[in-house]
Parts: sequence; structure tokens; C-alpha cells
Amino acid sequence: MLRILQPHFPKRLLCLPPLSNPQTICTNASSTTAVALPLPANSAAYVHLPFCRKRCHYCDFTIVALGSTTNSDSDPRISNYTKLLLREIHATEPNSDSDPLLKTIFFGGGTPSLVPPHLISDILDSLRSKFGISSDAEISIEMDPGTFDASKLDELLRLGINRVSLGVQAFQEELLRVCGRSHGLSEVEEAIGIMKSADGLANWSLDLISSLPNQSLEMWEESLTCAVAAQPNHISVYDLQVEQGTKFGYLYTPGEFPLPTVNQSADFYKKAAGNLPREGYEHYEISSYCKSGFECKHNQTYWQNRPFHAFGLGAASYINRTRFSRPKRMKEYTNYVENLENGSVADASSASVDLKDLAMDVVMLSLRTARGLDISSFVGKFGWDLTASLCKAFEPYVESGHVIGLDVKRKALPRSDFELGRDSDTQLAFIRLSDPHGFLLSNELIAIAFRSMSP
Amino acid sequence: MTSTGFSTVAGGIGSCKNSSNLQRRPLISNRPFITQFGTSIRFPTSRDKVRLGVSCRSAGAQPNIVPANGGKERLSKVPISNIRNFCIIAHIDHGKSTLADKLLQLTGTVQTRDMKEQFLDNMDLERERGITIKLQAARMRYLLGNEPYCLNLIDTPGHVDFSYEVSRSLAACEGALLVVDASQGVEAQTLANVYLALENNLQIIPVLNKIDLPGAEPARIAQEIEEIIGLDCSEAIHCSAKDGIGITEILTAIVKKVPPPQENADKPLRALIFDSYYDSYRGVIVYFRIIDGTLKKGDKIYFMASEKEYFADEIGVLSPGQMPVGELFAGEVGYLSASIRSVADARVGDTITHFGKKAHSSLPGYEEATPMVFCGLFPIDADQFPELRDALQKLQLNDAALKFEPESSSAMGFGFRCGFLGLLHMEIVQERLEREYNLNLITTAPSVVYRVNRLNSDTIECSNPSFLPEPGMRKSIEEPYVKIDLLTPKDYIGPLMELGHERRGLFKEMNYITENRATITYELPLAEMVGDFFDQLKSRSKGYASMEYNFIGYRESDLVRLDIQINGEPVEPLATIVHRDKAYAVGRALTQKLKELIPRQMFKVPIQACIGAKVIASEALSAIRKDVLSKCYGGDITRKKKLLKKQAEGKKRMKAIGKVDVPQEAFMAVLRLEKEVI
Repeated sequence: MLRILQPHFPKRLLCLPPLSNPQTICTNASSTTAVALPLPANSAAYVHLPFCRKRCHYCDFTIVALGSTTNSDSDPRISNYTKLLLREIHATEPNSDSDPLLKTIFFGGGTPSLVPPHLISDILDSLRSKFGISSDAEISIEMDPGTFDASKLDELLRLGINRVSLGVQAFQEELLRVCGRSHGLSEVEEAIGIMKSADGLANWSLDLISSLPNQSLEMWEESLTCAVAAQPNHISVYDLQVEQGTKFGYLYTPGEFPLPTVNQSADFYKKAAGNLPREGYEHYEISSYCKSGFECKHNQTYWQNRPFHAFGLGAASYINRTRFSRPKRMKEYTNYVENLENGSVADASSASVDLKDLAMDVVMLSLRTARGLDISSFVGKFGWDLTASLCKAFEPYVESGHVIGLDVKRKALPRSDFELGRDSDTQLAFIRLSDPHGFLLSNELIAIAFRSMSP
Repeated sequence: MTSTGFSTVAGGIGSCKNSSNLQRRPLISNRPFITQFGTSIRFPTSRDKVRLGVSCRSAGAQPNIVPANGGKERLSKVPISNIRNFCIIAHIDHGKSTLADKLLQLTGTVQTRDMKEQFLDNMDLERERGITIKLQAARMRYLLGNEPYCLNLIDTPGHVDFSYEVSRSLAACEGALLVVDASQGVEAQTLANVYLALENNLQIIPVLNKIDLPGAEPARIAQEIEEIIGLDCSEAIHCSAKDGIGITEILTAIVKKVPPPQENADKPLRALIFDSYYDSYRGVIVYFRIIDGTLKKGDKIYFMASEKEYFADEIGVLSPGQMPVGELFAGEVGYLSASIRSVADARVGDTITHFGKKAHSSLPGYEEATPMVFCGLFPIDADQFPELRDALQKLQLNDAALKFEPESSSAMGFGFRCGFLGLLHMEIVQERLEREYNLNLITTAPSVVYRVNRLNSDTIECSNPSFLPEPGMRKSIEEPYVKIDLLTPKDYIGPLMELGHERRGLFKEMNYITENRATITYELPLAEMVGDFFDQLKSRSKGYASMEYNFIGYRESDLVRLDIQINGEPVEPLATIVHRDKAYAVGRALTQKLKELIPRQMFKVPIQACIGAKVIASEALSAIRKDVLSKCYGGDITRKKKLLKKQAEGKKRMKAIGKVDVPQEAFMAVLRLEKEVI
């Protein structure tokens, strides 16, 4: 059985500032060992804007394809959706008094840049009146080449948006076509030009996808070089995931021609992990690189397993330790919003949360980051035994170089010091996956961690 | 008849004509076991709708079958001179079941219109009790020239695994019907049983069945029987059990040709057990033929081999259901129930006598069951170990030939080493464990019992490769040999001789028994038979060849233990004993299969086959290069977590061999492969 309370914890429920929903966290084994962990403050909001010109061939996300003929500035589907979104925000429970103003807002999609700025403005107003927005908040928006011009970007920046994530994906015309992107290389170059020349845009990111069909190592190097030349503050590198139900899923099998072999795509990953840091981009998360200080704050919310609001079609929120995904179909989402307004949405957050499940979330998210898993915090939340069995499971992989133990000063520990002592001599302060070998095998390593936590 | 619960399997390994219907591995789960009386038996499970009943094909009204009224009086006694005890020897599909059904109908033992219903009722009841249904004997009353005769039909299993049980059934009879398909001719298994019948001095009545079929050549087949067996076929009965042709002639021939039992009612009681089964309500039900003396209800009886005593609470006859009677005399066939706890107390071949007035000597021919084939049975889910033990104990109540002892292995956990009479026996037990007891099992490759002569000149028996003494400790290894007779159309002689050669067979002789058919005799190691020999025989002869084998003794062979090592760790359950000449090929096949099935690990993993310290085959599993989910869509981690949990869950189903996770499936596939390649 999992032991949650260690001797230095008082053997009683840890009572915390009032929660809007009293919540029990328990292990599978016994309800008598329930504890209440402090809930971190909720200061993030994700807003889903699902509209795209058309679906990219690799995409299985919740989107609404508009077609290439309509004028997105006056498309009633967008304005109707925005109205619904505003209703959802309005009907949502406000934060408790203890929660601060929103510190990050992320407009994701879809292609949010298809949404007219005045509608974005409405959404921001609504969020501001509901939760308040901190004056130094990071407000990000995803934009695709070919869907905006300099003046549109300008308008967005004037609304307070201060971070743009540009979906470039590749710097080769043929690869863009293979992906079914609705833009070509010239639009990419145009978009980069707009980013570079925009006044008041101090923070933007560029997205790339590796392991595309027919992509060669040369092409990938070229894309990396072009990305660096565009001088964004942040680069995201996603390894292509062939999802069922997508055109790629129908056409291709991972590791088989025309997709690169597993070894080739491992090489792509290593190429990025090798080249980008040389250009000053720090590899701070499995698929994220940034200039110093330009980590995506909103995504940090995810990696640190902190709560966040979410609004819109198919959007997933994490409030009071409960993950909730909104309906992915417009009709059902509309019903959901109606129910939310008349108060008939069941509050799922009062359900008890399994402590091990929570620990798994923390492990899978924190191991994605270069910072890694904070041992003393983990022991405090989930107990010594669980942490020790995790460390034990990782021992062989410390030896093989996939896992690294770090001390409080973030200095790598020799293998012999990779152990969780009960006394203060323990030097182990963080566990992280090595870059690139550990990151490359993160699924396997996280699965091993999961197994050690639920034997 | 056997002491097991599944004795009435006709045909089987040695005689199966239609290999597609009777593939032996994997056992087709819904394969019905056919009794001689046309009763389809499928082992009852809760989810199965068990079809138990006399097959309908014989139940249709036939104008030329007029049931005699005698059936109703079949319990009444007749003089011993009017008793006839007989069995039917036939190859599977040659029509034994249909013929038996017709005999029951024509004698009125079972009314045509009742046939299905009556049996179903019976079967349902038995099914509820969870026992296996068998129809082992049937008492019929037949009037010939106004004289009533009592005919007892005794069933025989058709499989070589149960040849001992067959011999006991035959020993309970004075005559046998030899039923041969008039277009197919004699098969190896039929031959084996006819010889057994002749040894027991049975009067044999040749019957040529299926003469209504267009391809029937009764004259040619009669000649074949005369040539092969040396049996006079001038009076062979031409019959079509399906159409009811020749049934009366058969009944008349039984009366006229089969001798009556000897008049021994005055002697002390001696009854031969030819079958027994365990009923969870009544204890063991014993089927017997009284050779000498008289048995009354309530008598205190004594089993001479097991030395157990019981009171015969109920005695009766089988006609075909159990019908209690007050007493039974010499020459009669019946059953008794005496709250017997295990079939081991009332084994097939044992002699029943009176406790108070014991016979001087038991009837000849009793043998202890000797397991010939062994394998390890392990529950896939370690939690099922106690259930497996209980299930084996329950099966043993009904199967005195089943032997087992606990075994543990680092890779497979706790399980049992089990001994069986032969391969069919093994497969039936495995199937029953899985179907009736809902156990998921891993079975190791079947092994035979080796005799190891050690340097200190003692001899030990070894059926588990892991326990084979080290090479330095042993002088020689002997393995069991069998003599195998193949009966085949001449076109397949070549392929079958190749097979014999591949399996280390020693060619003994070949005879053309007719212009087109030949027998080929080999002596070959039993270990070579326990794999897929029979499947190969069938596939190489397009299903036409049949076979029969007998154990002939132990012979010294150049055998070695082949070990499998994964990442330097030996994997005990995959160790096998093979002939040195085959070790290389087997080792390569096993290492290649493992490489295919073990998922790549985070480091390179060597997979080796070794004899002692010598590596004879080696493969390497390269390390995984990439396993990463990069995109995190809008913070929605649920799907990703599900995938990772599934991946973690998958690891649970693996066995850790040192640092390497080996999936259960890899074990099973290699064990299957071992059955094929060894």
C-alpha cells in the first residue's frame, strides 16, 4: 500500500484555505489516508478557435474547416461561434478570491489568425471582466502564414496580444504541399517578414514538424537553418505523429516509406537538439527551444501541472484537479454552453482524485522538461515510498545515460549518488531525462515510471 | 473406455481422416468429441450451448426400420446362453455412430421418435451436474425366432493414447463388429484395434458400410480385409447404416456368430472394470462386465488392485441410460455406484470382487497408467495458481492417468509439471482446464521422460529439461522409442519416408498390402512424435495416411540440453532437450523467433542459444531509437496519458528476464515453435 504521510507530516488532514469544492484525494487502497493538497492558483486560460481553411493532412485536432472561398472577416460561423464562446466565459464560475488575475492567455486552434481582431477583442474583454488580466500577462495567439497581413497583426498587438506562434512547419514547398497546408513558401516568407518588422512584437515562436513524408535530413537541416535565420525567440519542433483517421494515417505507416525510418527521425530530433542550442536556443522541453527567458509561460502551466481555464469547442480545462474536455461537436458544445448557463452542468470537480493518478500527471509532465521532476516537492506531495520506487525503477537508466540525477545546484550527480536517502544527506534534488537520448525515449521511460508507481 | 472423462473419442490422432476438422493444434474450441453412438460431446461451459444428444441423422423415420417391442423388456433376464457382448471397431467417419444408433432403434432400446428427446433430457441433467457425458454401453433386447437375446454393446475409444483402455473394453466382449467404409478401406487405427481384438480371442464380424454410396467397392474392400487381416470376408455383411440396410442381418450375425459368455455364475465374483467416471453427486460410477459370479445391490465389494472396499449402493444396466436393477449375473454388463471418492480407486482394468468372499486372483491385464508425455502448465495470471491446482485435482478425480506436481520457474512463476498418456490426452486436459475452468495457461513444449545414466552409474529419470544433470555428471542419455506403422496410398510413400527420416526414424520395413496401399514401419524417438508429427503426416499425404504407434523401449541417443539466454540470462522454461544434430537448426529458429517477438529495449540485447557454455546461435535486438510524443495539444494530456498508461500496462504482462522485459506472447510463440521444430 502506498504510504502518503511520512513521519514529519502531522497525521491529520492538512487543512488549507477554503476551496470552492471540498475535495478528497485518496489512494486506491484506502480512503482513510485521504489528504488535501494545496491547490495551486489558477491564472491561465486557453481559448480554442477551431477555424481553418482546410484540414492539414496530419491533423486530428478539433477544427472547423471553412473552405478557401469565404471571407473569414464576415463569416457568420466565426461570429456565431465567438458569441457562444463569450456565453461560455460568462457562465463560468469566477475564480475564488484567492486566485490572482490571469497571467497567461493562449488563443490556440485551428487557425486563430482567421478570426477577425474585433472578435478577439470581445473575447479578451470578456475574460478581463470575468477573471481580470494581469498587466504583464503573456497573451499568445497561433497564426498561420497566408491568413494575416501587417495591419491585422498590428491590430492584434494593440489588443494586448504580445506573443505569436507562427505555424510554418516546413521551409520546402513540396513538404508544405504534402502536408496539405493552405499556404506555400512565399506566404511563409511574407509572414516571417511581418513578424520581424512588427513594432511591439518582442516575442514570437516558429513551429516546425520533423519526420514528414519524403523529408530528408538535408531538408530538415535547411528548415532548422531557415528557422534560426528568421530570428524568433522561440522554436517548437514537433515530431510527426501519424494519427488514426487523418489522411496521413490512411496513407502512411510510421517508419515506412515515404515516412523516414525510426532511425532517421531519431536523427532529425538529434539534429535539432544539436543545432538549435548552438544558435542560442535552449532545449527547455521535449519539443520546445527558446532564447533565454522566452519560455512559453502558458505551456509552463501545463508542464507544472497547474490549473487552467479552457473555453471553446473541444477545449480541455484543468480546474480543482479535474480535467474536463468540452464537446468536440458544435451542436453538443452549444448544448453544453446552454446547460452551463442554466446551471445544469454537473460539477465534476467534487469527485475524489486518485493520488497516484495525480502523481503520474506530475511525472509525465515534468519529465518533459529540462528542469525535470522536483524531488523534494514530489516526496512532500506523494510520499517517500512512491518516490523511492520511482528512483529504483530509473536506476538502470541512469546507468545507461537516459536519466540524470541533479543536485539542488542542478549539477549532474554521479550514478552512485542516484539514491533517495531519508536523511538530509540526500543530494538528489531533480530527476530529468537526458537530452537527446532520454527525451527521445521519453514514452518508454515515463511508462517505466508509471509501472513503478502502480505495480 | 477409459477411466477418463473423455474416453469415447473415436478416431483421433491415429485415425483421423479429415485433418481440417480435427486439427490438433491449436485445439479448435468448438470441436465436438464424437462418441461411437453418435452423441456429440462438447465439454460443457457456461457460455456454450452444449449440444448433447444423439445425432439427428439417424432419427428420421426409415421405412425398413421397425422397432421391435422387445426393447421395453430389455431389463428382463435371459439365460446366459442368450447373452452377447460385443463392440464395434471402426475408423472415424466409417459409420460407427450411425450404426450404433440404428442398432438401438431397431431393437427398440430407444424409440425413433423419442431418440432425441430422451437423450437431451438425460444430458441436460448431467450437464447441470457438471460432469462429462458419455455413452459407454447399451443393453438391447433382440428377438430372433421368438427367442429373446440380450445384446450388450460396449464402446471403445479410438485413440492410441488410450490403447490400454481399448484393450480392457475388448476384454469385456466376446465379439466385435469390424466396420469398414466400403469405399475407403482399412485404416491403421482399425488395424491396430482388430489385432488387439484377435489377441483377446474375439469373434470378428466384418461389416462393409456405406454400400449405398456411388464409390462403394465392397468386393475390393472385402479382398483388402482378407489380404491385410486374413479375415474370411465371404460372409461380410453389406450395410448402409444411414439407410438402414443390413441392420437386421448384423443383429442376426451377432446372435449367431458371437459366442455367449461362459457360465460362471457360481464362482466367486470377478467383474472387469472397463470404464469409470466421477460424478460430483454420487462419486465414481463404475462400468463393468461380470466375468464370474453374481453381484447384488448392497453387496460389500472390494477392488483388487486399489485394495479399496465399498458398498454397492446402486447397481444397474446401461440401456443406454442408467437403469437400476437388483442383481447382475456373470456375462452381464452394468454399472455401480458406491460413493467412491476418486477414479483412482476404481481404475479401468481393476477387478471387482466381494469383500467377504474374495476371488483367488484378479482378472489378467491390469496395468498402472504410465505417463509418456510431460509438459509444464503455468497460469498466465499468477493469481490463478490455486485455481489451477484445484482444477487439476478435480480432473484427476476422473482421470487416474493424469499426473502432476508443482513446478516453479523464474520466468513463468508457479505452475505444474503434468504427465499424460499421450498427446491427445495432454491436449484434452489443457482444453478442459481452459474451457471448463476458465484458466489461461502457458504450456511448455511437451517433453518425454529421458533416462540419464550418471557417472556414478545410477540412472535417473528426467522429464524436465531444467533438471537434466550437467554434461560432466552424465554418462549417457536414453530416450523412449516407438514403433510407428504408417498406412498410406502409394503416392505418398516418398513424402512420408522423408518425414520419417527427418524425425530421426529408423526405417524397418515397407509392405504393399494392396496394389495401391502400403504400410511403412519406422522406429523413432517418441520425442519426435510429440511435436507436429501427426499434422505433418496428414499434410504430406493430403490427409490420406493414417498411423499407429507403440512404445518399444529406451535407446541411447546423442542428446544435449539447448539453453536460451536473453541478455546473458538463461531462460529456464525455454530450455529443451534435443538431438545434437538438430540443435543448431532449433537454436537458430528459436533465437530468430525471440528476436521477432521481444520488443526492442533501450539497450542492445543479445539472444543466444547455447549448449553448455558454447553459443550455437545468436541474434541481437538493437536498441530502440525513438519513442516520443511531442505535441501537447492545448494542454489536453488525457489521451497522451492513456497511451502511456497502456504502455506501462503492457509492461506488466511481461516477464522480466534480468533487465529485459519479455512479453508473455514471446514465450508462448517460442513454446509453440518448439513443438514444431523439435
